[in-house]
Amino acid sequence: MASAEKIASLACIELSPTDVPQIQSEFEKILAYIHLLDEVDIPEGTQPFYGATESTNATRPDVVTQSEPRESILKNAPDTDGEFYRVPPVF
Amino acid sequence: MTDTETNSIQSLVARIKSGETSPIACVVDSINQIRQRNDDLFAFISDCEADALAQATELESAIKSGTDPGPLAGVPIAIKDGICTRGHTTTAGSKMLETFVPPYDATIVTRLKQAGAICIGKTNLDEFAMGSSTENSAFGTSKNPWSTDCVAGGSSGGSAAAVSGLFAPAAIGSDTGGSIRQPASFCGITGLKPTYGRVSRYGLMAFASSLDQIGPMAWSAQDNALLMNVLAGHDEKDSTSSREPVPDYLASLPQPIRGLRIGICEQHMAEGLDDEVRKSVADAIGLLQDLGAEIKNVSLPHSQYAVATYYVVAPCEASSNLSRYDGVRYTARESADDLKAMYSKTRKSNFGEEVTRRILLGTYSLSSGYDHELYKKASKVRRLIKQDYDNAFADVDLIAGPTVPTTAFKIGQHAQDPLAMYLADIYTASANLAGIPAISLPCGFSAGGLPIGLQLQANMFDEAKLLQTGHQYQTQTDWHTRRPQP
Repeated sequence: MASAEKIASLACIELSPTDVPQIQSEFEKILAYIHLLDEVDIPEGTQPFYGATESTNATRPDVVTQSEPRESILKNAPDTDGEFYRVPPVF
Repeated sequence: MTDTETNSIQSLVARIKSGETSPIACVVDSINQIRQRNDDLFAFISDCEADALAQATELESAIKSGTDPGPLAGVPIAIKDGICTRGHTTTAGSKMLETFVPPYDATIVTRLKQAGAICIGKTNLDEFAMGSSTENSAFGTSKNPWSTDCVAGGSSGGSAAAVSGLFAPAAIGSDTGGSIRQPASFCGITGLKPTYGRVSRYGLMAFASSLDQIGPMAWSAQDNALLMNVLAGHDEKDSTSSREPVPDYLASLPQPIRGLRIGICEQHMAEGLDDEVRKSVADAIGLLQDLGAEIKNVSLPHSQYAVATYYVVAPCEASSNLSRYDGVRYTARESADDLKAMYSKTRKSNFGEEVTRRILLGTYSLSSGYDHELYKKASKVRRLIKQDYDNAFADVDLIAGPTVPTTAFKIGQHAQDPLAMYLADIYTASANLAGIPAISLPCGFSAGGLPIGLQLQANMFDEAKLLQTGHQYQTQTDWHTRRPQP
């Protein structure tokens, strides 16, 4: 079992040290259940099934259409300069 | 909407078109019900009063001028709050989106409006549709109109409570592992999960993209058919939506089911099934046999692994889909000195416990070096589940069984045990994994007065058969006409 902190860091969710033991114990229970899958006899050559369509690409004519105006999209952002999203420094 | 007559969408539309009642009267009635009783049941997170009245006024002039107002003219409809409505807050039950106002309508919202239906409010759900009780909503728990100390089910619990609580005669839900059928069963109404791709998901906030499907919820199979006639069909904005022709779902309803082959899956009638549920489901199957259906046994040997498979596949997809909620584009943000810390703090403070749990579970299953074989293994078992159905549908037209192993559980009963909650999906999740359609129909009540649901599953794109069989069953039973005391 990987550490909860490592997984949380990959998922970009801060964990407080007090959350860790509970998450770890819930995880162990859920994973024990999920590992029921280990008992399935999977015949050689079984292909994974990733979704019910299994269709090839759905194409449509390349036609220019009106998209949402920038202002209406940016309206929901917590911070913008009126033209772009604004975020804290990367480093 | 307080008498049983007006709870039928079909008769309501007829009465509106004849002038016996009006769209405005229907909207006012629904809004009044929300004002008076939503505090008790918490079916809705928000109402759409102003827009609903404006749309009703427009419809009234259309009716007066002789324009066809559409097949759902004036029908108040409740829409799950994980589905985008232009200009109206859409929260997905999450603090993350508490003030999010979509700049566009989901395709099904556009279709419903064009058909004359009026959205009267946005219904409660488990946060991002993750849960079986709405207890994971950031805004409150929907109560079961049949017994307010019980859950309405989930994740579309608010939609089920909106219909069952007589706020609106129709609702829209979404179903990723049972989220339409389980609350429909708990609340004594009829709910359909269509085939994967049958209904456009453009504007549905994605949880697990290979499983999510939007569908109707109403009292009867007939009303579900009427709604499906509006909802179903290809949408160029959703590349996973199917180009299969859409039948008229109302057309096949009157046909008798004589000769229909119905399979009973022994694995679904086995241990863990509540005795009252078992009896009601067996009685319902007996009635279908009386109507001329041929009952056969079928085996779905891998269905016992459906929940384990689901809880690998769905969290993996969720961990990817929910990465977009990072404090940049969608309303919520916690301040921090650098970008990564801002992401992490925003996601910690604005996701609830279950969503966090599933994102972490999905991240774990997909992380190189930990359990990276898990997703592949689950996807292979998913193939075996699908093959079980292919084999079964070579022999039968439908598969019948319980929707849920129990009636509605008490609020708080599973709060400390996520795994026990996951097992509420045991009979429903495999339909999502395989992509097939399934319906839940009211088929009885427990001694304690809680509704019981019969689940029928069909092969890909065979919704018409589910609705026809449901309708024929409902011509012989009155479970779907029972109403809770307000």
